[in-house]
Amino acid sequence: MIRKIISGNEAVALGVKLARVGVTGIYPITPQTTIIEKLAEMRAKGEIETEILRVESEHSAMAATFGAALGGVRAFTATASQGLLYMHEMVWWVAGSRVPVVMVVGTRAVGAPWNIWNEHTDFTSERDSGWIMAFASNPQEALDLTLQAFRISEDERVFLPMMVGMDGFILSHTKTNVLIPDQDQVDDFLPPRRQPYVIDPEDPIGMGNIFPPEGYMRLRESIDSALRNSEDVIKEIGREYNKKINPLGDYSTLNVSYKLEDADYAVVLMGAWAGDAMEAVDTLREKGIKIGMLRIRYLRPWSEKEIRSALKDKKAVLALDRSTSFGRGGGPLYVEIKSTISDVVPQIKGVVSGLGGVTVNKSDLVYIFNKFVEGLKDDVIWYYPKEVGKIELRTPRDIE
Amino acid sequence: MSLLEYQYFPVTRPNKGAGGKTGAWRIVKPVVDYNKCIGCKACFMFCPESTIIPSNGKVRVDYEYCKGCGVCANVCPVKAISMVSEQ
Repeated sequence: MIRKIISGNEAVALGVKLARVGVTGIYPITPQTTIIEKLAEMRAKGEIETEILRVESEHSAMAATFGAALGGVRAFTATASQGLLYMHEMVWWVAGSRVPVVMVVGTRAVGAPWNIWNEHTDFTSERDSGWIMAFASNPQEALDLTLQAFRISEDERVFLPMMVGMDGFILSHTKTNVLIPDQDQVDDFLPPRRQPYVIDPEDPIGMGNIFPPEGYMRLRESIDSALRNSEDVIKEIGREYNKKINPLGDYSTLNVSYKLEDADYAVVLMGAWAGDAMEAVDTLREKGIKIGMLRIRYLRPWSEKEIRSALKDKKAVLALDRSTSFGRGGGPLYVEIKSTISDVVPQIKGVVSGLGGVTVNKSDLVYIFNKFVEGLKDDVIWYYPKEVGKIELRTPRDIE
Repeated sequence: MSLLEYQYFPVTRPNKGAGGKTGAWRIVKPVVDYNKCIGCKACFMFCPESTIIPSNGKVRVDYEYCKGCGVCANVCPVKAISMVSEQ
């Protein structure tokens, strides 16, 4: 095991290398591009044997990856934003075919208008597609979750594709200290791929052929069962990962608590700003405010049991969204949290911020948390940091 | 692989129905020259009617369903399939 200063994208590429991925369908889209560039570079140097398929769109990237996976090969792809939206049809096709596939999403805002910066809306908008969805909060976790994703996805209790989200630029392009496991360690953790059906000329099958209504509905139920049952599988595999690969990481739970046990107030969020939020929690704690944080690491399966037990005795809970669910008031996390704990927590508030790359730093989070503890009047607010306020927005041309 | 009870997969196996039988109207039929056939299964992959059956490392044709379209003969890389007139 070695330590290296690398970016989130490099960490993911190394994870793909260590997982001995057989086929990678690639198409570039910011901020994920350097993952596939790194893979192509490693392939050119002969460091990996992954077959790299350069295709003409993200739709084809997922189709190629899907085809390889149907053939029984460990398959990977990565995308972001418009690319994920373009891939949307194939994303459902893979889940509905119950085929193990792993994809990394370098999350980014969704147009229109054009914006290449960080946001979670592209990721969260796939939450009903039947994929297992994990979200990293640092490059180390991006690598660890990618490795675990292959194992979880290919487990016989699961057999579903899995995507790993990672904040675009904040994680994908920022270099930090990452613990990289040895090939032997990964080989010990990740056995050769298993899947129930493969495309084989000697024993031909059709995948996803036309299904009568009853069969279709039964398949939908089986996806739901597999997703719900994956909760135990994720914990079990996480514990094994702690033991065999990264003893410093804690993957024995789906979600991560910070100073939550004795807290009166709790903040729920997902992704890279958890680091700033932990510092903000510390700042408020120094002032004697009992506040804690729950970081959602798995958006699907949504661990109702874990989240309820973590938040049940709190006075108030704040869901911090870096994504939107238009017309609903608040983002997806707010909606999910509200539906999970509204009978045990008297006050649930939501804040939407950080969209399209708007920088929310520690001082902003301290400000938001303070306001939340003092009591927010509205259920949901859209928070703009002070720097944003200074910008003169060139909105609609004067209409005479 | 034994699958768990809740696991269900959208898998179908090719099957033949009485409605797909060719009858007497076919004009030409593919005949495989087993001295030439290398068992690459290109014909199997391209047959629109799934009438090519891989067997013993080579292929044979299910004439009951074959429509005589000639796709197999066209894709064969070693010209092992010739289209022969029906008597």
